[in-house]
Amino acid sequence: MLTAALLVAAAAAGAWAMRARRRATVLERQLVAVTGELEGLQHAFARFAPAQMIEDILAQGVSTRPQVKDVTILFADLKGFTTIAERLDPEQLTALLNGYFAAVGEAIAAHRGHLAKFIGDGLLAFFGGLEPNPWQTNDALHAALAMRAAIAAYNARSRADGLPAVSAGIGVHRGPVVAGVFGTSALMEYGVLGRTVNVASRVEDLTRHHDVDILVSDAVRGSCDPRFRLRAMAPADVKGLAAPLATWALDGFDAPPA
Amino acid sequence: MAATAEALGVIEWADCWVPTAPLAPDVAAEVRRQVGFVPQWAHRLGPVPWMVRGFTALNHVRVAHMPLRLWPLVALVVSRDNACRYCYGVTRTLLKVLGHDDAFIDALEREVHLGQLAPAEQAALEFARRISRADPRPTAREIAALRDAGFSRPAIAEIAFDAAATVASNRLSTLLALPSERFVGWADHPVLRLVRPLVAPFVRVRRAAPVPLPQPNDGPCAAVVAALDGSPAAHVLRQTIDLAMASPILPRRTKLLVLAVVGRALGCRHAEAEARDALAAEGLDGATIGRILADLGSPALDARDALVVPFARETVRYQTAAIQQRTRALAAALPLPEALEVVGIASLANAVCRLSVLLDAC
Repeated sequence: MLTAALLVAAAAAGAWAMRARRRATVLERQLVAVTGELEGLQHAFARFAPAQMIEDILAQGVSTRPQVKDVTILFADLKGFTTIAERLDPEQLTALLNGYFAAVGEAIAAHRGHLAKFIGDGLLAFFGGLEPNPWQTNDALHAALAMRAAIAAYNARSRADGLPAVSAGIGVHRGPVVAGVFGTSALMEYGVLGRTVNVASRVEDLTRHHDVDILVSDAVRGSCDPRFRLRAMAPADVKGLAAPLATWALDGFDAPPA
Repeated sequence: MAATAEALGVIEWADCWVPTAPLAPDVAAEVRRQVGFVPQWAHRLGPVPWMVRGFTALNHVRVAHMPLRLWPLVALVVSRDNACRYCYGVTRTLLKVLGHDDAFIDALEREVHLGQLAPAEQAALEFARRISRADPRPTAREIAALRDAGFSRPAIAEIAFDAAATVASNRLSTLLALPSERFVGWADHPVLRLVRPLVAPFVRVRRAAPVPLPQPNDGPCAAVVAALDGSPAAHVLRQTIDLAMASPILPRRTKLLVLAVVGRALGCRHAEAEARDALAAEGLDGATIGRILADLGSPALDARDALVVPFARETVRYQTAAIQQRTRALAAALPLPEALEVVGIASLANAVCRLSVLLDAC
């Protein structure tokens, strides 16, 4: 009787151990899968913020590493968009805007730029923010030229669909910014702050004043490849700056882009 | 679960653009002596013998100071971090041959990620990843952490070499889009358990006695080689750099330009300064060198260098699909041996310019 009881107990223990082992194996596989997904996400997110910052966020939930960095900022804004928007129905408007963002976004990414945010019909991109980039200013100017070409190609396509042509003002400036993760636990983004960002926005504003599509600041002119063809514009007063802002129109590049 | 196949399946990879070619008998014999057989990749590098010799040697170096167990772990972690499907597959298979099962390898990757390894191993693997990423470059603080974890100065140098050599192999494999070796397909096969004890002794990293620096050590990157003093790795690195520079396929000037650009991209002032001096000796004036490095182009560059200089920059940090496409485009514009040598030099430059942290931080 005792032997039978012991055998039953041993069988029950064995069954329990097997179940526990199976469960542990399943959990282990789930953990491996989750880790793989986490690593995949980390690689994917590295396109949007510095790798070290992403590791901090994954490990601690926050990033404690805001940094002062020298970056090149590119602002772009559609000209006359309010008028265009009034003429189009919502579907057409959305198609037009998304098509434009896709075209210029590719041009920015192709030159190692980071598209940081859309602001209505405008956008902010920066170069040299996610990883060290000694060639960030040249990259930004090549991106601006590629955006000009992309907009022309996009207009040719959208005209066939009965959509109006768009034109953009693009401003480029270089200088120090505070780069970090900003926002709340509900909405965070990797971004840049500081005077450099404001000046870049003012440079873009001046494209309307000077009636050109791409303008760059003094700081950009001083650090870019001399093969970029730049044309001096008259210094102009802008909001928030005591002195008139000197800018140069970017006409082209004298050799194939690097 | 076919874990290796599954792990490799998620890494994007293009088709290889390099045809296989006959390997010179003396080169094949040298590879066979070091590896035990001639891997498929060696046949693809046949037109550039120094690359076969050099990359074989870099991957089969003997170590004198670092723990042997760490060698393949560093290679695995760095290859995974660089999303190099070829190297990751080979290293994972190697670890299985050495007796580690999939659960251990998966746990290793997970624990590196979550910081749950033994402190010394965690510090070493973290250091290796920092060497590989170089963003920012490791500093004296990371070196001090390794010392606190019990590693000697020569052991730290060998860990850095291991990471840098893996960085070079990752670039070579990724840029050429090397297909997986046939033996990687056996990683999940039950028969591997049977043959493992027979094969393991041939693939295990071997211990060697400390050795003095190679003499003479007066070629390019001599300071970085000297930072490996006491390790057989110094001899392998010296020999590989010398073979690369002596190769007649690309002009010396092109190779130095690649080194200078990679040095600039990685913030390695040693490599950049050394390459500038050497380029000046080749007849390029300082202002022209300055412009080339500032703008990755100049009217002073010939057609080939005008392609190679901006390409060198792309090899430092990349997305796999983009760099494989970019390399294929370069290869379409150059004769095959030249395209291969550009990849070889850029890979080696990436290793040396990362390894130079030993000069800054030790």
